[in-house]
Amino acid sequence: MNTKNTLKTTAALLGLGLLLTGCAQDGANANGAAASESPATQASALQASETWAKAAQDGMTAAFGVLHNSGTADVELTKVEDKAGNVIQIHETTGNGADAKMSQLDGGLKIEAGKDAILEPGGTHLMYMDLKAPLVASETGQLTLVFSDGSSTEVPFEVRNFTGAKESYENHEGMDHKNMDHESMNHDG
Amino acid sequence: MLLGTSAAAALGGVLAGFGTSQAVAGQAPAAAPAPQGPQYLPFHGKYQSGILDAPQAHAVFVGWNLNWREGGKKDQLRSLLKMITDDAQRLTAGRGVLADTEAEMAAGPSDLTVTVGVGQNLLEVMGGAKVGTLPGFAGDKLQQRYGQSDLLIQFCGQDPTVLAHAVRAVSKNLRGLAQKLFTQRGFMHQRGSSDTFRNLFGQLDGVNNPKAEARELAVFGTPDEPSWIANGTTLALRRFEMDLEGWDEVATAGRDFSLGRRQSDGSPLTGSGPADPVDLDAVNEVGLPVIGANSHVALAMPRSAQEVIHRRGYNFIDGEVSGLLFASYQRDPAASFIPLQQRLAEADLLNTWLTPTGSALYAILPGIEPGMYLGQQLLG
Ligand code: HEM
Ligand SMILES: [Cu+2]
Repeated sequence: MNTKNTLKTTAALLGLGLLLTGCAQDGANANGAAASESPATQASALQASETWAKAAQDGMTAAFGVLHNSGTADVELTKVEDKAGNVIQIHETTGNGADAKMSQLDGGLKIEAGKDAILEPGGTHLMYMDLKAPLVASETGQLTLVFSDGSSTEVPFEVRNFTGAKESYENHEGMDHKNMDHESMNHDG
Repeated sequence: MLLGTSAAAALGGVLAGFGTSQAVAGQAPAAAPAPQGPQYLPFHGKYQSGILDAPQAHAVFVGWNLNWREGGKKDQLRSLLKMITDDAQRLTAGRGVLADTEAEMAAGPSDLTVTVGVGQNLLEVMGGAKVGTLPGFAGDKLQQRYGQSDLLIQFCGQDPTVLAHAVRAVSKNLRGLAQKLFTQRGFMHQRGSSDTFRNLFGQLDGVNNPKAEARELAVFGTPDEPSWIANGTTLALRRFEMDLEGWDEVATAGRDFSLGRRQSDGSPLTGSGPADPVDLDAVNEVGLPVIGANSHVALAMPRSAQEVIHRRGYNFIDGEVSGLLFASYQRDPAASFIPLQQRLAEADLLNTWLTPTGSALYAILPGIEPGMYLGQQLLG
Protein backbone atom coordinates (compact mmCIF):
# COMPACT_ATOMS: atom_id res chain seq x y z
CA MET A 1 0.00 0.00 0.00
CA ASN A 2 2.78 2.28 0.87
CA THR A 3 5.04 3.02 -2.00
CA LYS A 4 8.20 4.91 -1.94
CA ASN A 5 8.11 8.58 -2.74
CA THR A 6 4.44 8.34 -3.36
CA LEU A 7 2.00 10.98 -2.47
CA LYS A 8 -1.50 10.35 -1.56
CA THR A 9 -3.25 12.88 -3.63
CA THR A 10 -6.31 12.93 -1.56
CA ALA A 11 -7.46 16.21 -0.22
CA ALA A 12 -10.11 14.45 1.73
CA LEU A 13 -7.92 13.80 4.70
CA LEU A 14 -7.98 15.81 7.85
CA GLY A 15 -11.17 17.62 7.04
CA LEU A 16 -9.28 20.10 4.99
CA GLY A 17 -12.42 20.82 3.10
CA LEU A 18 -13.05 23.56 5.58
CA LEU A 19 -10.00 25.37 4.45
CA LEU A 20 -11.23 26.07 1.03
CA THR A 21 -12.29 29.55 0.30
CA GLY A 22 -10.44 32.76 0.32
CA CYS A 23 -7.19 33.34 1.96
CA ALA A 24 -5.23 30.83 -0.03
CA GLN A 25 -1.95 32.51 0.50
CA ASP A 26 -1.56 33.32 -3.19
CA GLY A 27 1.02 30.72 -3.80
CA ALA A 28 3.43 32.07 -1.30
CA ASN A 29 4.10 30.23 1.87
CA ALA A 30 2.61 32.06 4.78
CA ASN A 31 5.27 30.80 7.08
CA GLY A 32 7.67 33.38 5.91
CA ALA A 33 9.03 31.54 2.95
CA ALA A 34 11.50 33.63 1.12
CA ALA A 35 9.44 35.68 -1.26
CA SER A 36 10.61 34.29 -4.49
CA GLU A 37 11.77 36.16 -7.50
CA SER A 38 10.71 34.55 -10.72
CA PRO A 39 11.22 31.86 -11.56
CA ALA A 40 9.48 30.67 -8.41
CA THR A 41 11.48 28.41 -6.17
CA GLN A 42 10.19 25.07 -5.02
CA ALA A 43 9.99 26.39 -1.48
CA SER A 44 7.69 29.22 -2.53
CA ALA A 45 5.20 26.70 -3.89
CA LEU A 46 4.90 24.94 -0.55
CA GLN A 47 1.85 25.39 1.61
CA ALA A 48 2.04 23.49 4.86
CA SER A 49 -1.00 22.86 7.03
CA GLU A 50 -2.07 20.70 9.96
CA THR A 51 1.56 20.46 10.95
CA TRP A 52 2.37 18.91 14.31
CA ALA A 53 5.12 16.98 15.99
CA LYS A 54 4.89 14.34 18.65
CA ALA A 55 6.02 15.50 22.09
CA ALA A 56 9.06 13.65 23.40
CA GLN A 57 11.68 14.02 26.11
CA ASP A 58 14.51 12.57 24.10
CA GLY A 59 15.29 9.92 21.53
CA MET A 60 13.22 9.58 18.41
CA THR A 61 10.06 11.38 17.50
CA ALA A 62 8.30 12.52 14.36
CA ALA A 63 6.52 15.39 12.67
CA PHE A 64 3.42 15.23 10.50
CA GLY A 65 1.18 17.43 8.39
CA VAL A 66 0.09 18.19 4.87
CA LEU A 67 2.57 19.62 2.41
CA HIS A 68 0.81 21.09 -0.57
CA ASN A 69 2.57 21.97 -3.79
CA SER A 70 0.66 25.01 -5.02
CA GLY A 71 2.98 25.50 -7.97
CA THR A 72 2.85 24.29 -11.56
CA ALA A 73 6.03 22.24 -11.37
CA ASP A 74 6.86 19.23 -9.24
CA VAL A 75 8.92 19.84 -6.15
CA GLU A 76 11.18 17.54 -4.17
CA LEU A 77 11.83 17.85 -0.47
CA THR A 78 15.39 16.68 0.06
CA LYS A 79 16.39 17.73 3.53
CA VAL A 80 14.87 18.76 6.84
CA GLU A 81 16.76 20.74 9.46
CA ASP A 82 16.12 22.73 12.59
CA LYS A 83 17.88 25.36 14.65
CA ALA A 84 18.80 22.88 17.36
CA GLY A 85 20.80 20.87 14.83
CA ASN A 86 18.67 17.74 15.17
CA VAL A 87 19.15 14.99 12.61
CA ILE A 88 15.80 14.77 10.86
CA GLN A 89 15.13 12.20 8.18
CA ILE A 90 12.28 11.69 5.77
CA HIS A 91 10.79 8.31 6.58
CA GLU A 92 8.28 6.01 5.03
CA THR A 93 6.44 3.22 6.79
CA THR A 94 5.97 -0.24 5.34
CA GLY A 95 3.95 -3.12 6.67
CA ASN A 96 1.09 -3.00 9.11
CA GLY A 97 0.38 -3.29 12.78
CA ALA A 98 3.11 -4.87 14.83
CA ASP A 99 5.09 -5.47 11.67
CA ALA A 100 5.12 -1.84 10.63
CA LYS A 101 8.65 -0.72 9.92
CA MET A 102 9.91 2.63 8.96
CA SER A 103 12.95 3.50 7.01
CA GLN A 104 14.52 6.44 5.32
CA LEU A 105 13.20 7.32 1.88
CA ASP A 106 15.55 6.73 -0.99
CA GLY A 107 16.04 10.16 -2.39
CA GLY A 108 13.73 13.05 -1.62
CA LEU A 109 9.99 13.35 -1.16
CA LYS A 110 8.47 14.32 -4.48
CA ILE A 111 5.26 16.33 -4.52
CA GLU A 112 3.60 16.71 -7.89
CA ALA A 113 2.30 20.09 -8.99
CA GLY A 114 -1.01 20.82 -7.30
CA LYS A 115 -0.81 17.74 -5.09
CA ASP A 116 -0.37 17.09 -1.38
CA ALA A 117 2.12 15.01 0.49
CA ILE A 118 0.36 13.67 3.55
CA LEU A 119 2.68 13.10 6.46
CA GLU A 120 0.89 11.01 9.05
CA PRO A 121 1.45 8.44 11.75
CA GLY A 122 1.80 5.08 10.06
CA GLY A 123 2.82 6.72 6.80
CA THR A 124 5.43 9.09 5.52
CA HIS A 125 6.79 11.34 8.27
CA LEU A 126 9.69 13.53 9.27
CA MET A 127 11.77 11.69 11.82
CA TYR A 128 13.85 13.25 14.56
CA MET A 129 16.53 10.62 15.06
CA ASP A 130 17.78 11.68 18.50
CA LEU A 131 16.34 14.80 20.08
CA LYS A 132 18.87 17.24 21.46
CA ALA A 133 16.20 18.91 23.62
CA PRO A 134 12.68 17.89 24.59
CA LEU A 135 9.74 18.72 22.35
CA VAL A 136 7.23 19.96 24.88
CA ALA A 137 3.51 19.56 24.21
CA SER A 138 1.69 22.82 23.45
CA GLU A 139 4.87 24.54 22.29
CA THR A 140 5.65 25.30 18.66
CA GLY A 141 8.70 23.95 16.90
CA GLN A 142 10.14 25.09 13.58
CA LEU A 143 11.53 22.94 10.82
CA THR A 144 13.40 24.13 7.78
CA LEU A 145 12.35 22.26 4.66
CA VAL A 146 15.01 22.23 1.94
CA PHE A 147 14.15 21.40 -1.67
CA SER A 148 16.10 19.97 -4.56
CA ASP A 149 16.64 23.41 -6.11
CA GLY A 150 18.32 24.54 -2.90
CA SER A 151 15.41 26.74 -1.82
CA SER A 152 14.09 26.38 1.71
CA THR A 153 11.25 27.47 3.94
CA GLU A 154 10.54 27.41 7.66
CA VAL A 155 7.40 25.67 8.82
CA PRO A 156 6.04 25.77 12.37
CA PHE A 157 5.00 22.46 13.94
CA GLU A 158 2.69 22.42 16.94
CA VAL A 159 3.95 19.95 19.52
CA ARG A 160 1.24 17.60 20.74
CA ASN A 161 0.91 14.55 22.96
CA PHE A 162 0.51 11.40 20.95
CA THR A 163 0.82 7.82 22.11
CA GLY A 164 0.43 6.09 18.76
CA ALA A 165 3.04 5.68 15.99
CA LYS A 166 4.98 2.88 17.60
CA GLU A 167 6.48 1.52 14.39
CA SER A 168 9.95 0.22 14.86
CA TYR A 169 12.80 1.76 13.00
CA GLU A 170 14.93 -0.23 10.66
CA ASN A 171 17.94 1.61 9.42
CA HIS A 172 19.31 1.12 5.98
CA GLU A 173 22.00 -1.30 6.94
CA GLY A 174 19.19 -3.34 8.35
CA MET A 175 21.21 -4.14 11.44
CA ASP A 176 20.16 -1.73 14.04
CA HIS A 177 16.57 -2.11 15.17
CA LYS A 178 15.34 0.52 17.50
CA ASN A 179 11.92 0.96 18.87
CA MET A 180 10.27 4.29 18.86
CA ASP A 181 8.97 4.13 22.36
CA HIS A 182 6.89 6.99 23.51
CA GLU A 183 5.51 5.66 26.72
CA SER A 184 8.23 7.32 28.69
CA MET A 185 7.60 10.62 27.01
CA ASN A 186 4.13 11.23 28.21
CA HIS A 187 3.63 12.06 31.81
CA ASP A 188 0.00 11.52 32.19
CA GLY A 189 -1.74 13.82 34.62
CA MET B 1 -19.87 26.30 -2.45
CA LEU B 2 -22.04 28.91 -0.86
CA LEU B 3 -21.33 29.99 2.64
CA GLY B 4 -23.68 31.72 5.01
CA THR B 5 -22.40 34.34 7.37
CA SER B 6 -21.92 32.00 10.26
CA ALA B 7 -20.04 29.68 8.00
CA ALA B 8 -17.88 32.52 6.87
CA ALA B 9 -17.15 33.36 10.46
CA ALA B 10 -16.27 29.80 11.27
CA LEU B 11 -14.08 29.63 8.23
CA GLY B 12 -12.34 32.79 9.18
CA GLY B 13 -11.45 31.13 12.41
CA VAL B 14 -10.07 28.10 10.76
CA LEU B 15 -8.08 30.05 8.28
CA ALA B 16 -6.63 32.65 10.46
CA GLY B 17 -5.71 30.13 13.12
CA PHE B 18 -2.44 31.06 14.65
CA GLY B 19 0.64 29.07 14.08
CA THR B 20 0.40 26.35 11.59
CA SER B 21 -2.91 26.63 9.93
CA GLN B 22 -2.62 27.86 6.46
CA ALA B 23 -5.04 27.60 3.68
CA VAL B 24 -4.53 24.73 1.37
CA ALA B 25 -5.99 25.35 -2.01
CA GLY B 26 -7.81 22.37 -3.36
CA GLN B 27 -11.08 20.69 -3.99
CA ALA B 28 -13.78 20.33 -1.43
CA PRO B 29 -13.73 16.77 -0.24
CA ALA B 30 -17.29 15.67 -0.68
CA ALA B 31 -17.48 14.07 2.73
CA ALA B 32 -16.35 17.02 4.80
CA PRO B 33 -19.21 18.97 6.36
CA ALA B 34 -19.24 22.70 5.81
CA PRO B 35 -19.28 24.69 9.03
CA GLN B 36 -22.66 26.25 8.53
CA GLY B 37 -26.18 25.76 9.64
CA PRO B 38 -27.82 25.67 13.02
CA GLN B 39 -25.37 23.23 14.57
CA TYR B 40 -22.38 25.57 14.46
CA LEU B 41 -22.01 28.23 17.11
CA PRO B 42 -19.28 30.78 16.48
CA PHE B 43 -16.06 30.40 18.40
CA HIS B 44 -14.82 33.91 17.70
CA GLY B 45 -16.52 37.11 18.75
CA LYS B 46 -16.68 39.86 21.31
CA TYR B 47 -17.57 37.37 24.03
CA GLN B 48 -16.88 33.67 24.33
CA SER B 49 -19.82 31.49 23.33
CA GLY B 50 -21.61 29.29 25.84
CA ILE B 51 -22.52 32.16 28.14
CA LEU B 52 -25.35 34.25 26.73
CA ASP B 53 -26.55 31.48 24.39
CA ALA B 54 -29.57 29.44 25.24
CA PRO B 55 -28.23 26.47 27.19
CA GLN B 56 -27.50 23.34 25.19
CA ALA B 57 -28.86 20.02 26.41
CA HIS B 58 -25.55 18.69 27.73
CA ALA B 59 -22.60 20.17 29.55
CA VAL B 60 -19.29 19.00 30.92
CA PHE B 61 -17.36 21.24 33.28
CA VAL B 62 -13.74 20.17 33.52
CA GLY B 63 -11.24 21.60 35.98
CA TRP B 64 -7.46 21.22 35.72
CA ASN B 65 -4.51 22.26 37.81
CA LEU B 66 -1.39 23.11 35.85
CA ASN B 67 1.90 21.25 36.14
CA TRP B 68 4.56 23.92 35.91
CA ARG B 69 7.91 23.12 34.35
CA GLU B 70 11.17 24.95 34.80
CA GLY B 71 11.13 28.40 33.32
CA GLY B 72 8.65 31.23 33.00
CA LYS B 73 5.07 30.49 33.94
CA LYS B 74 3.77 33.15 31.60
CA ASP B 75 5.31 31.43 28.57
CA GLN B 76 3.97 28.07 29.64
CA LEU B 77 0.49 29.45 30.16
CA ARG B 78 0.60 31.26 26.83
CA SER B 79 1.45 28.14 24.86
CA LEU B 80 -1.16 26.16 26.75
CA LEU B 81 -3.86 28.73 25.99
CA LYS B 82 -2.78 28.82 22.35
CA MET B 83 -3.24 25.08 22.17
CA ILE B 84 -6.64 25.21 23.84
CA THR B 85 -7.69 27.98 21.46
CA ASP B 86 -6.64 25.90 18.49
CA ASP B 87 -8.46 22.88 19.86
CA ALA B 88 -11.61 24.87 20.56
CA GLN B 89 -11.81 26.52 17.18
CA ARG B 90 -11.34 23.21 15.41
CA LEU B 91 -13.85 21.34 17.53
CA THR B 92 -16.56 23.99 17.31
CA ALA B 93 -16.08 23.97 13.52
CA GLY B 94 -16.62 20.20 13.49
CA ARG B 95 -13.00 19.19 12.96
CA GLY B 96 -10.66 17.07 15.01
CA VAL B 97 -7.80 18.65 16.91
CA LEU B 98 -4.20 18.21 15.78
CA ALA B 99 -3.02 14.65 16.50
CA ASP B 100 -6.65 13.57 16.89
CA THR B 101 -7.09 9.83 16.62
CA GLU B 102 -10.90 10.08 16.45
CA ALA B 103 -11.43 13.21 14.37
CA GLU B 104 -14.55 11.64 12.84
CA MET B 105 -16.35 12.15 16.13
CA ALA B 106 -16.03 15.91 15.82
CA ALA B 107 -18.20 16.13 12.71
CA GLY B 108 -21.57 17.82 13.16
CA PRO B 109 -20.65 19.72 16.32
CA SER B 110 -24.28 20.14 17.41
CA ASP B 111 -23.95 23.61 18.93
CA LEU B 112 -20.71 22.72 20.65
CA THR B 113 -19.25 25.56 22.67
CA VAL B 114 -15.95 25.53 24.52
CA THR B 115 -15.75 28.27 27.12
CA VAL B 116 -12.49 28.88 28.94
CA GLY B 117 -11.94 30.36 32.38
CA VAL B 118 -9.07 30.66 34.81
CA GLY B 119 -8.88 30.77 38.58
CA GLN B 120 -7.22 33.54 40.55
CA ASN B 121 -3.96 31.51 40.57
CA LEU B 122 -3.63 31.83 36.82
CA LEU B 123 -4.81 35.44 36.83
CA GLU B 124 -1.77 36.18 38.99
CA VAL B 125 0.46 34.65 36.32
CA MET B 126 -1.37 36.69 33.70
CA GLY B 127 -0.66 40.00 35.36
CA GLY B 128 -2.67 40.14 38.54
CA ALA B 129 -6.27 41.03 37.70
CA LYS B 130 -8.60 40.19 40.57
CA VAL B 131 -11.69 38.05 40.67
CA GLY B 132 -10.77 36.32 43.92
CA THR B 133 -12.08 33.01 45.18
CA LEU B 134 -15.39 32.07 46.77
CA PRO B 135 -15.65 32.31 50.55
CA GLY B 136 -17.07 29.42 52.52
CA PHE B 137 -20.85 29.52 52.91
CA ALA B 138 -23.09 28.25 55.69
CA GLY B 139 -23.90 24.58 55.18
CA ASP B 140 -20.97 23.89 52.88
CA LYS B 141 -19.82 20.25 52.92
CA LEU B 142 -17.21 20.80 50.26
CA GLN B 143 -15.26 17.98 48.72
CA GLN B 144 -11.83 18.94 47.54
CA ARG B 145 -12.30 17.11 44.24
CA TYR B 146 -15.03 19.59 43.30
CA GLY B 147 -13.09 22.60 44.47
CA GLN B 148 -11.24 25.47 42.88
CA SER B 149 -9.00 24.56 39.94
CA ASP B 150 -6.50 26.64 37.99
CA LEU B 151 -8.25 26.17 34.69
CA LEU B 152 -11.88 25.50 33.82
CA ILE B 153 -13.40 24.60 30.50
CA GLN B 154 -17.15 24.48 30.08
CA PHE B 155 -18.04 22.22 27.17
CA CYS B 156 -21.68 22.42 26.06
CA GLY B 157 -23.51 20.81 23.17
CA GLN B 158 -26.64 19.01 22.07
CA ASP B 159 -24.90 15.73 21.29
CA PRO B 160 -23.27 13.89 24.20
CA THR B 161 -21.07 11.84 21.87
CA VAL B 162 -19.62 14.91 20.18
CA LEU B 163 -19.22 16.41 23.62
CA ALA B 164 -17.41 13.34 24.94
CA HIS B 165 -14.97 13.54 22.07
CA ALA B 166 -14.35 17.24 22.59
CA VAL B 167 -13.59 16.70 26.27
CA ARG B 168 -11.32 13.78 25.48
CA ALA B 169 -9.48 15.54 22.66
CA VAL B 170 -8.72 18.58 24.81
CA SER B 171 -7.83 16.37 27.77
CA LYS B 172 -5.40 14.32 25.71
CA ASN B 173 -3.66 17.44 24.53
CA LEU B 174 -3.36 18.61 28.13
CA ARG B 175 -1.84 15.36 29.40
CA GLY B 176 1.32 16.03 31.29
CA LEU B 177 0.70 19.77 31.18
CA ALA B 178 -2.15 19.75 33.64
CA GLN B 179 -3.79 17.47 36.15
CA LYS B 180 -7.51 16.95 35.96
CA LEU B 181 -9.25 17.86 39.20
CA PHE B 182 -12.85 17.21 38.16
CA THR B 183 -15.15 16.29 35.33
CA GLN B 184 -18.71 17.32 36.16
CA ARG B 185 -21.38 16.31 33.66
CA GLY B 186 -24.79 17.89 33.44
CA PHE B 187 -27.93 17.70 31.38
CA MET B 188 -31.11 19.62 30.97
CA HIS B 189 -34.08 19.79 28.71
CA GLN B 190 -35.26 23.21 27.70
CA ARG B 191 -38.97 23.83 27.88
CA GLY B 192 -40.36 25.46 24.78
CA SER B 193 -38.64 28.53 23.48
CA SER B 194 -37.69 29.90 26.88
CA ASP B 195 -34.53 29.11 28.80
CA THR B 196 -36.37 27.15 31.46
CA PHE B 197 -35.89 23.51 32.36
CA ARG B 198 -37.07 21.08 34.99
CA ASN B 199 -34.50 20.54 37.70
CA LEU B 200 -34.45 17.23 39.57
CA PHE B 201 -36.74 18.57 42.32
CA GLY B 202 -39.23 18.90 39.49
CA GLN B 203 -39.18 22.70 39.62
CA LEU B 204 -39.29 24.91 36.59
CA ASP B 205 -35.88 26.55 36.80
CA GLY B 206 -34.60 29.62 34.98
CA VAL B 207 -37.88 31.54 34.81
CA ASN B 208 -36.56 34.79 36.21
CA ASN B 209 -33.21 34.71 34.49
CA PRO B 210 -32.37 38.04 32.86
CA LYS B 211 -33.03 38.04 29.11
CA ALA B 212 -31.46 39.67 26.06
CA GLU B 213 -29.84 43.05 26.89
CA ALA B 214 -30.49 42.63 30.59
CA ARG B 215 -28.58 39.35 30.48
CA GLU B 216 -25.67 40.90 28.61
CA LEU B 217 -25.57 43.76 31.09
CA ALA B 218 -25.62 41.44 34.12
CA VAL B 219 -22.87 39.26 32.69
CA PHE B 220 -20.51 41.67 30.95
CA GLY B 221 -21.45 45.09 32.35
CA THR B 222 -20.89 48.16 30.24
CA PRO B 223 -17.78 49.68 28.64
CA ASP B 224 -17.64 52.04 31.64
CA GLU B 225 -18.33 49.35 34.16
CA PRO B 226 -17.02 46.10 32.68
CA SER B 227 -16.31 42.88 34.52
CA TRP B 228 -12.70 42.20 35.61
CA ILE B 229 -11.77 42.85 31.97
CA ALA B 230 -13.67 44.22 28.98
CA ASN B 231 -15.78 41.48 27.36
CA GLY B 232 -14.83 39.00 30.04
CA THR B 233 -16.96 37.85 32.94
CA THR B 234 -16.93 35.48 35.90
CA LEU B 235 -18.36 32.02 36.47
CA ALA B 236 -19.49 30.75 39.86
CA LEU B 237 -19.69 26.97 39.83
CA ARG B 238 -21.34 25.25 42.80
CA ARG B 239 -22.32 21.63 43.09
CA PHE B 240 -25.49 20.97 45.09
CA GLU B 241 -26.51 17.45 45.98
CA MET B 242 -30.25 17.01 46.36
CA ASP B 243 -31.91 14.83 48.96
CA LEU B 244 -34.55 13.44 46.65
CA GLU B 245 -35.74 10.90 49.23
CA GLY B 246 -36.43 13.71 51.68
CA TRP B 247 -38.03 15.82 48.95
CA ASP B 248 -40.42 12.95 48.19
CA GLU B 249 -41.96 13.40 51.63
CA VAL B 250 -42.86 17.03 51.04
CA ALA B 251 -46.37 17.80 49.82
CA THR B 252 -47.02 20.17 46.97
CA ALA B 253 -47.92 23.11 49.22
CA GLY B 254 -44.70 22.73 51.21
CA ARG B 255 -42.62 22.46 48.07
CA ASP B 256 -44.21 25.52 46.54
CA PHE B 257 -43.89 27.51 49.75
CA SER B 258 -40.18 26.66 50.01
CA LEU B 259 -39.56 27.95 46.54
CA GLY B 260 -42.16 30.74 46.33
CA ARG B 261 -43.29 29.43 42.96
CA ARG B 262 -45.50 26.54 41.98
CA GLN B 263 -43.94 23.31 40.82
CA SER B 264 -46.85 22.79 38.40
CA ASP B 265 -46.15 25.68 36.05
CA GLY B 266 -43.47 27.85 37.66
CA SER B 267 -45.95 30.61 38.45
CA PRO B 268 -45.18 32.67 41.55
CA LEU B 269 -47.52 32.17 44.50
CA THR B 270 -48.59 35.75 43.82
CA GLY B 271 -49.61 35.10 40.22
CA SER B 272 -51.11 32.61 37.83
CA GLY B 273 -48.50 32.37 35.08
CA PRO B 274 -44.71 31.99 35.18
CA ALA B 275 -44.20 35.50 33.86
CA ASP B 276 -46.26 37.10 36.62
CA PRO B 277 -44.34 39.19 39.15
CA VAL B 278 -43.02 37.82 42.41
CA ASP B 279 -44.75 40.13 44.90
CA LEU B 280 -43.05 39.91 48.27
CA ASP B 281 -45.50 42.39 49.83
CA ALA B 282 -48.63 40.41 49.05
CA VAL B 283 -50.38 39.02 52.15
CA ASN B 284 -53.15 36.46 52.54
CA GLU B 285 -56.48 36.77 54.40
CA VAL B 286 -54.80 36.41 57.76
CA GLY B 287 -52.11 38.94 56.95
CA LEU B 288 -49.23 36.52 56.34
CA PRO B 289 -46.93 36.98 53.35
CA VAL B 290 -47.99 34.83 50.40
CA ILE B 291 -44.37 34.29 49.47
CA GLY B 292 -42.44 33.50 52.63
CA ALA B 293 -39.44 35.66 53.46
CA ASN B 294 -37.23 32.56 53.57
CA SER B 295 -38.48 31.05 50.36
CA HIS B 296 -35.83 30.60 47.69
CA VAL B 297 -37.14 33.26 45.32
CA ALA B 298 -37.68 35.81 48.09
CA LEU B 299 -34.07 35.49 49.17
CA ALA B 300 -32.70 35.13 45.67
CA MET B 301 -34.48 38.11 44.20
CA PRO B 302 -31.89 40.75 43.36
CA ARG B 303 -31.85 43.64 45.85
CA SER B 304 -30.38 45.97 43.24
CA ALA B 305 -29.42 45.99 39.56
CA GLN B 306 -25.86 45.15 40.65
CA GLU B 307 -27.02 41.88 42.10
CA VAL B 308 -28.45 40.35 38.93
CA ILE B 309 -26.79 37.11 37.84
CA HIS B 310 -27.34 34.87 34.81
CA ARG B 311 -27.86 31.25 35.80
CA ARG B 312 -26.82 28.55 33.35
CA GLY B 313 -26.87 25.48 35.54
CA TYR B 314 -27.42 21.80 34.74
CA ASN B 315 -28.92 18.75 36.39
CA PHE B 316 -26.54 15.99 37.30
CA ILE B 317 -26.81 12.35 38.26
CA ASP B 318 -23.65 10.64 39.36
CA GLY B 319 -24.43 7.06 40.28
CA GLU B 320 -26.97 7.47 43.07
CA VAL B 321 -26.20 11.10 43.70
CA SER B 322 -28.46 13.68 42.08
CA GLY B 323 -28.35 17.41 42.15
CA LEU B 324 -27.83 20.70 40.42
CA LEU B 325 -24.59 21.88 38.94
CA PHE B 326 -25.23 25.51 39.68
CA ALA B 327 -23.40 27.77 37.25
CA SER B 328 -23.89 31.50 37.10
CA TYR B 329 -22.26 34.22 35.08
CA GLN B 330 -22.03 37.70 36.53
CA ARG B 331 -20.06 40.89 36.06
CA ASP B 332 -18.91 41.26 39.65
CA PRO B 333 -19.34 38.30 42.01
CA ALA B 334 -18.55 40.38 45.09
CA ALA B 335 -21.58 42.56 44.37
CA SER B 336 -23.93 39.83 43.20
CA PHE B 337 -23.29 36.14 43.51
CA ILE B 338 -21.53 36.22 46.86
CA PRO B 339 -24.09 38.28 48.84
CA LEU B 340 -26.87 36.33 47.15
CA GLN B 341 -25.34 32.98 48.02
CA GLN B 342 -24.73 34.19 51.56
CA ARG B 343 -28.39 35.09 52.00
CA LEU B 344 -29.51 31.77 50.59
CA ALA B 345 -26.99 29.73 52.58
CA GLU B 346 -28.19 31.34 55.83
CA ALA B 347 -31.93 30.92 55.45
CA ASP B 348 -33.22 29.37 52.21
CA LEU B 349 -36.00 26.89 52.98
CA LEU B 350 -34.71 24.72 50.13
CA ASN B 351 -31.46 24.14 52.06
CA THR B 352 -33.21 21.35 53.98
CA TRP B 353 -32.80 19.20 50.86
CA LEU B 354 -29.55 20.63 49.51
CA THR B 355 -25.90 19.91 50.30
CA PRO B 356 -23.24 22.06 48.64
CA THR B 357 -20.27 19.81 47.82
CA GLY B 358 -18.37 21.86 45.25
CA SER B 359 -17.50 25.53 44.95
CA ALA B 360 -15.27 27.55 42.64
CA LEU B 361 -14.97 30.89 40.94
CA TYR B 362 -13.40 31.61 37.55
CA ALA B 363 -12.45 34.58 35.45
CA ILE B 364 -13.91 33.90 32.03
CA LEU B 365 -11.56 35.17 29.35
CA PRO B 366 -12.77 37.81 26.90
CA GLY B 367 -13.75 36.78 23.38
CA ILE B 368 -11.20 36.88 20.58
CA GLU B 369 -10.94 37.61 16.89
CA PRO B 370 -9.68 35.05 14.40
CA GLY B 371 -5.90 34.84 14.61
CA MET B 372 -5.83 35.57 18.34
CA TYR B 373 -5.59 33.17 21.25
CA LEU B 374 -7.66 33.18 24.43
CA GLY B 375 -5.94 35.28 27.05
CA GLN B 376 -3.98 37.28 24.52
CA GLN B 377 -5.45 40.52 25.87
CA LEU B 378 -3.52 39.77 29.07
CA LEU B 379 -0.49 37.81 27.92
CA GLY B 380 0.26 39.86 24.82
C1 HEM C 1 -29.74 23.35 43.95
C2 HEM C 1 -29.84 24.62 44.18
C3 HEM C 1 -30.89 25.51 43.59
C4 HEM C 1 -32.11 25.21 43.08
C5 HEM C 1 -32.76 23.86 43.00
C6 HEM C 1 -32.69 26.43 42.61
C7 HEM C 1 -33.93 26.53 42.05
C8 HEM C 1 -34.51 27.72 41.64
C9 HEM C 1 -35.82 27.85 41.09
C10 HEM C 1 -36.74 26.69 40.78
C11 HEM C 1 -36.07 29.13 40.88
C12 HEM C 1 -37.36 29.76 40.35
C13 HEM C 1 -37.43 29.92 38.89
C14 HEM C 1 -36.47 30.90 38.34
O1 HEM C 1 -36.63 32.11 38.47
O2 HEM C 1 -35.50 30.42 37.77
C15 HEM C 1 -34.90 29.85 41.27
C16 HEM C 1 -34.74 31.19 41.18
C17 HEM C 1 -33.58 31.84 41.45
N1 HEM C 1 -32.45 31.29 42.01
FE1 HEM C 1 -32.17 29.38 42.48
N2 HEM C 1 -31.81 27.44 42.84
C18 HEM C 1 -30.71 26.91 43.44
C19 HEM C 1 -29.60 27.57 43.85
C20 HEM C 1 -29.39 28.91 43.66
C21 HEM C 1 -28.21 29.60 44.01
C22 HEM C 1 -26.98 28.97 44.65
C23 HEM C 1 -28.40 30.89 43.65
C24 HEM C 1 -27.47 32.06 43.78
C25 HEM C 1 -26.56 32.18 44.68
C26 HEM C 1 -29.71 31.00 43.07
C27 HEM C 1 -30.25 32.15 42.58
C28 HEM C 1 -31.52 32.26 42.08
C29 HEM C 1 -32.06 33.49 41.55
C30 HEM C 1 -31.33 34.82 41.43
C31 HEM C 1 -33.37 33.23 41.17
C32 HEM C 1 -34.36 34.22 40.56
C33 HEM C 1 -35.04 34.96 41.66
C34 HEM C 1 -36.01 35.98 41.09
O3 HEM C 1 -35.56 37.06 40.73
O4 HEM C 1 -37.20 35.64 41.01
N3 HEM C 1 -30.29 29.78 43.10
N4 HEM C 1 -33.95 28.96 41.75
CU1 LIG D 1 10.48 7.15 11.32
